[in-house]
Amino acid sequence: MSAELGKAEVRPVFKATTFQHTSKSNNKKRAWKSLKQIISTERSLPWPEDYVHYSSINAPPSFKPSEKFSDLSGLPAPYTDPQTRLRFATKEEYATLIGLPMDITAGYLALRGASSIVG
Amino acid sequence: MEVLQFKDLKPTPDIIHAHGVDQHNATIIIDNGSYQCRVGWLNQREPLLIFRNLIAKPRKERTKKDAPESSQTPQLQIGNDITNIEAVRFQLKTQFDRNVVTHFEAQEHLFDYTFTHLGIDTETCVAHPVVITEPFLNPTSSRQLMSELLFECYGVPSLAYGIDGVYAYHFAQSKSEDSGLIVSLGYHTIHIIPIINNKTIFVNTRRINTGGYHVISFLHRILQLKYPAHANAITLSRAEELLHSICAVALDYKEELNRWTDTDYYENNIRKIQLPYTTTTTSTLTLEQQKERKRELAKRLAEINAKKREERLAEDEEKLNSLLAIQEMIEVDEDCDEIDQLLTDHQIKSVDELNKNITALNLRIEKTKEKITASTSNEDVVVDEIPVKQAKISKMVFENEKAMHTYVQNAKKMRQDILNKKTARKQRRQDMAKRRTAAGQERMRIISQLARKEKGNDDFGLRDEDWDIYKTISREGGDSDSEIENEKLLELEEIIRTHEPSEVDETAAPGESHQLHIGIERYRSPELLFKPYMMGSSEAGLTEVIGYVLSLFSPEEQLLLAGNVVLTGGLANLPGLRERIEADLVSIRPFQTYSNVKIIPNPSLAGWYGTRKWARSSEFKRNLITRRQYEEYGSEYFKVHIASNIYVATPKGHNIDICE
Repeated sequence: MSAELGKAEVRPVFKATTFQHTSKSNNKKRAWKSLKQIISTERSLPWPEDYVHYSSINAPPSFKPSEKFSDLSGLPAPYTDPQTRLRFATKEEYATLIGLPMDITAGYLALRGASSIVG
Repeated sequence: MEVLQFKDLKPTPDIIHAHGVDQHNATIIIDNGSYQCRVGWLNQREPLLIFRNLIAKPRKERTKKDAPESSQTPQLQIGNDITNIEAVRFQLKTQFDRNVVTHFEAQEHLFDYTFTHLGIDTETCVAHPVVITEPFLNPTSSRQLMSELLFECYGVPSLAYGIDGVYAYHFAQSKSEDSGLIVSLGYHTIHIIPIINNKTIFVNTRRINTGGYHVISFLHRILQLKYPAHANAITLSRAEELLHSICAVALDYKEELNRWTDTDYYENNIRKIQLPYTTTTTSTLTLEQQKERKRELAKRLAEINAKKREERLAEDEEKLNSLLAIQEMIEVDEDCDEIDQLLTDHQIKSVDELNKNITALNLRIEKTKEKITASTSNEDVVVDEIPVKQAKISKMVFENEKAMHTYVQNAKKMRQDILNKKTARKQRRQDMAKRRTAAGQERMRIISQLARKEKGNDDFGLRDEDWDIYKTISREGGDSDSEIENEKLLELEEIIRTHEPSEVDETAAPGESHQLHIGIERYRSPELLFKPYMMGSSEAGLTEVIGYVLSLFSPEEQLLLAGNVVLTGGLANLPGLRERIEADLVSIRPFQTYSNVKIIPNPSLAGWYGTRKWARSSEFKRNLITRRQYEEYGSEYFKVHIASNIYVATPKGHNIDICE
């Protein structure tokens, strides 16, 4: 809102004065659905056979084996440190790796999406 | 090597444009993307407004709930009102969830911003047809609410929808082929859209849920982890700037990585980025000035103390006088009631207590007086004492150069010894923590020996040295870095610095510690588009999905598609991206088949240009949904055209409510 219009609550003139989002009208507290919820309800409807919707065009999973890169430098990494589970490429990297504090190593794992214990 | 600086560009707040006569009933073109929104008039060549689709909602300050300032707290900031995006990073909201609009209250705020800045001032309606872009296969419920918002809240007379990437393909190119493969690189998603004979093939389109946003946050995070000390200075906006200024896509990622292992290549290709820094001000003050400042401070403190003492003295004296008066009154034995009254005023219960109080006060007054006299005479002495402490290590005077040299060498040697001890200890600590090291095994042996209970001849603890065994098995590995050692180290460093200033003090260029060295990261972050697994996503990368989409067509159609791959969206400008996709296409296509990749002109605005051009065509008028049609066919209804989504009515009785 610009300063001339003052508070944000002031309705611009071009807006209808009585408008209420229909799906919000009964209860102001209700939150908007997330995309995930929307597409899961959309998917559950009895659509015609050949209907294409949002979730049906997701990219397929990768069929190629994923290459391993060093978490620190990004170089191809043949080794993994069993303690931190970080990947590294050279012995110099290992030297820096063992000196890293916990939050950094955890950060690298989380970035790679490998922070879950199971995976 | 040149050091690059951050520009930290800030958006300039939009002005409220005048609503000209030539815009009477003109169509408004809105390219509503999850990164930016571009808005303009049909009869103008360029978009008038370009802003991030963001609002910053300041939180209410809980401390000043009813203070008058509450009316002055910053209000909702929308779009380009947000001049410093990092300052409000945690309050940012957008109407988008991935690439779909789901939060329609936020969308309403952004429409308010849009129409206000276009200069619209007609009452209770926006009297202009609107063309707005929407995501590929936008969920019906999202489109329904968009129609509802535009028709019922803003009172637009008519409305049309289309897909930005498809608009760009058909209308933003000087000549568009009947068939081609659109690679629409968005902020949250990438779409691979095949077009055959000017028809969008929806069923064979694929969406990769990785986009510019992911590349930026990946770069942001790896830099933060590489430079934890500067984690706060490395912001998302700066990562975004880096992506556009120095990042590129490698033609062959493996080969590029191999090149970087060579130190010469590394030295020549590393980019240094300067973070903002402030030089420490202490160095600008001379020792003399520091002393002067200290002296002044001490003087002021002394003055304050003296003032306090005098005040206390005056207070005590006054009290004493009043108490003495009461005592006198008791002695004369005046009106009993009055005395009682006065005594209770001073919270005194009996005459004895009164006498006690008087003597105590007398003592206190005497003491304070003593102190005052003492401090006035001592003041100068106290002040002079401080600087003496300061110059503890003054420059020693040596007979000759050689003596000084040996002295410094000695100091250095001692420093090195301490440092060696420290590293040895650290090593030991690490070894202790691990199993299968000599130190760790020795520790386990001692522990098991201690745990063994041999009653009878247990003379453990008779000698004091017995207890040292617990020190050796503690995880710290015996003695820890002691305070004394640290102090000694500091002292030695001080000595070396005073005599040989260049040795320890190696801050050559100012702010060198505030430089980011960016090497492989330049190629590593855009590579995410081709390898989403680098961020833990299981989806296939760009090349693989292009190959997959092509495989869904007949060989003849594949030829048509691969021969006309069109890149659109802001990321299409990344250096090397086109070449990379072309090279990858050659590798996945049959031997010696033709393939061609091109970038659409001005890829980040192509969606808007294409939409505008479509709205100028003859097709436009009959593809508008009018208000009457909206009322008659319901909010789901929209018209299908060359760049639109497919229309399938929701199965009866299954309306999706977008709210919980």
